[in-house]
Amino acid sequence: MLTLQSTTKRYGSLTALDGVTLTIEDGDFFGLLGPNGAGKSTLMSLVAGLRAADSGSLALDGTPLGPQTRKARETIGLVPQALALYSDLTALQNLRIFGQLHGLRGRELSSRIEEALDMAQLTERRHAPVSTFSGGMQRRLNLVAALLHRPRLLLCDEPTVGVDPQSRNAIFEHLLKLNRAGTTIIYSTHYMEEAERLCSRIGIIDHGRILALDTLDGLLTRLPFEDEISFPSNDSTAAILERLAPNGVLIRDGDTHRFRPHANYPLSAFFSLTEAAGLSPRIFVTHRPSLENLFLHLTGRTLRE
Amino acid sequence: MRNLLVLFRKDFLNFWRDRAAVIITFLVPMVLIYIFGFVFGLNKTGDAGPTGIDLAVVNLSSDPGALDLVNALKAEKTFHVITTTHDPHGQPRPLTEADVRAALHNNAYRFALIIPRDLIPDEGFGIHLKFLSNPRNEVETQTVNGVLQKTIFSNVPTLLGRSLQKSARRFVGGPRLEAFNRHLADSIADTFGGDRNRIFHNIEAGGFGIATDEPKPHDPALRTLDPASTPGTPSPDAKKATSAVGDAFTRIIHIETEQVAGKDVKNPMAARLVGGYAIMFLLFAASGSSTSLFDEKKAGLFQRLLSGPVTRGQILGAKFLFGVVLGLLQLVVLFVAGHLMYDLGLWQHLIPLLVVSLCAAAACSAFGMLIAAVSPTQGAAQGLTTFLVLTMSAIGGAWFPVSFMPAFIQKISHLTVVYWSVEGFTDVLWAGQSLGDILPTLGALAAISAIIMAVALWRFNRGRIFD
Ligand SMILES: Nc1ncnc2c1ncn2[C@@H]1O[C@H](COP(=O)(O)OP(=O)(O)O)[C@@H](O)[C@H]1O
Ligand SMILES: [Mg+2]
Repeated sequence: MLTLQSTTKRYGSLTALDGVTLTIEDGDFFGLLGPNGAGKSTLMSLVAGLRAADSGSLALDGTPLGPQTRKARETIGLVPQALALYSDLTALQNLRIFGQLHGLRGRELSSRIEEALDMAQLTERRHAPVSTFSGGMQRRLNLVAALLHRPRLLLCDEPTVGVDPQSRNAIFEHLLKLNRAGTTIIYSTHYMEEAERLCSRIGIIDHGRILALDTLDGLLTRLPFEDEISFPSNDSTAAILERLAPNGVLIRDGDTHRFRPHANYPLSAFFSLTEAAGLSPRIFVTHRPSLENLFLHLTGRTLRE
Repeated sequence: MRNLLVLFRKDFLNFWRDRAAVIITFLVPMVLIYIFGFVFGLNKTGDAGPTGIDLAVVNLSSDPGALDLVNALKAEKTFHVITTTHDPHGQPRPLTEADVRAALHNNAYRFALIIPRDLIPDEGFGIHLKFLSNPRNEVETQTVNGVLQKTIFSNVPTLLGRSLQKSARRFVGGPRLEAFNRHLADSIADTFGGDRNRIFHNIEAGGFGIATDEPKPHDPALRTLDPASTPGTPSPDAKKATSAVGDAFTRIIHIETEQVAGKDVKNPMAARLVGGYAIMFLLFAASGSSTSLFDEKKAGLFQRLLSGPVTRGQILGAKFLFGVVLGLLQLVVLFVAGHLMYDLGLWQHLIPLLVVSLCAAAACSAFGMLIAAVSPTQGAAQGLTTFLVLTMSAIGGAWFPVSFMPAFIQKISHLTVVYWSVEGFTDVLWAGQSLGDILPTLGALAAISAIIMAVALWRFNRGRIFD
């Protein structure tokens, strides 16, 4: 169990983490969702012991974490946001170096390296310098290099940046498998789709503060609306606007109208209304609310701003 | 055209933002031009050329002309004349030839002039001097030879006149010579005017009668007689020979030159050349290897390493060690190559040379670490490296002798890695010194390494490389 208690980290006058308190249970797949500069990497670096917190505390199973406590970090693996690889060396040489640093030797080292190369689908390219790899291949290697010592807590800092969809899927599958096998994962991203797809619990972070922390469903119920229906704004739809207004929120968004029905206004009522107005159901698109909506709701900004 | 201008302007903006580039472009060449200019005597103040080179003088002659010569040498700014040493009780006493030979061997100084008892020999006509040197540094030796000859030749008329009087006395006998001199003085006084008594004494003292007062060593008229003041003075390659400069004086001035140390070395200059350039490139290589720390930082490798079981000390220690081993390898390869090209006598001095090389490599590696520790960016590190390596090589004696530089630069040069490394290499390869002999040089290198490394480690802890 990882616990952060009022953890604060400053760089000069900039407060990168502002009194963060959270608990991550063993076996969690925890998503840290926030835009660039939110403080995700800073939080990761504190947990990984790269930096010391200015105030507050961090502990893994009750043992404090920090630059001085190397022992407690043996069960942690960090996948850095940067491609932390020796790019002039081969995949095999890289893995051997990182494995040896974790004290692996001989046959155990070899078998873990084989396993890692296999997971990263790089067995064939093991003797090629990393600099000749595609972005996706480098990302995959970057990930498996953090797994050689079989960490119980894996910190993945935006591990899919600049990756093709295929590699992204491979990485997802891999992480889900690790998580099912018992590895606790903290996964930071600014892609809400990734957090929605992977994470059992999600913390939304902005300006160094956790704004919301819950399961995906739990987070979505915080939105004052559940669904959103969009339709083109034209003469034929203009007729229904007046009758919709009392039952929800209507937003004009360029050529589109977006309607968020109040909780007590069922979708069936909506569709009987539009049918009565002679509008084809095909022009209406229903959206489930997303984390994007939640972020917008919490901060007034979109995730990618 | 417009695009070209936009891009052109962009290059300037980039350039000015990169302080390291600006320094390399303007400051480094200026510093080097200043130093080279000083060495080759180009600066306007007239204060050019080497200063304060130690020259031991043993005066065994009772001739007053010998004292004049010593004083003339003392007046020469090129030399710092040493005439005394201390006895075991700390009392000063005049130097002896034996003292001087020992000191030359130990490289306490590299040049000595012996004025023998028979400065003006009883037999024959002329004067006789002995020049002892440890020419571990070719350029310096040439210069010293030149200035020494200039000073001696400037004093020649007096000495020569005295020699003439001496031989005349031998041939014609005392009383008759006096009569002759008196006669001569009278004729001169009659012809040119002047006090006949004074002219007579002048002639007796060795003046030609025309010399009015003290001979002036720097009399410009005498300079024209001075073959040593022209460039291209012959090197002291002839190991025991009479220097043959200046047609008129060749047969009457005997300067016996003797190379006291490093006699078995075929190429006195090669040790400095190879050692000096090797050290310069060692410094470049060492700082290159440690600025790779910036690449590794940028790649995020430190995050991976430090989040695992690796400490900062291990990262830095490994870099340092790599620099030492690479440097040692580089020196060995360069010295072997130098030996094949110039016959440095490598194999006789292998062990001390390896030890000096190890210390030099350690100092260079530490220097590289310091560069990485104090530089905010890789660009800054590269600029600083170029600046420091070139300046240290220039003032540290990698290219030309330290004694050629202004006094304050000579002081600074003793703080450089280059100076002590080149000293070590020439100690071993030129003077053939043993491990015991070079302990002070090794100590200096070790101390410099330790200090640089301590500063580097302290800076690393507050620097940005692990940020
Ligand atoms: N080493 C550093 N020095 C100064 N400021 C930093 C440093 N690292 C990050 N920051 C600042 O701290 C804030 C949080 O950064 P970071 O944790 O990297 O965010 P994220 O990973 O969510 O993009 C940002 O404003 C960033 O500019
Ligand atoms: Mg980040």
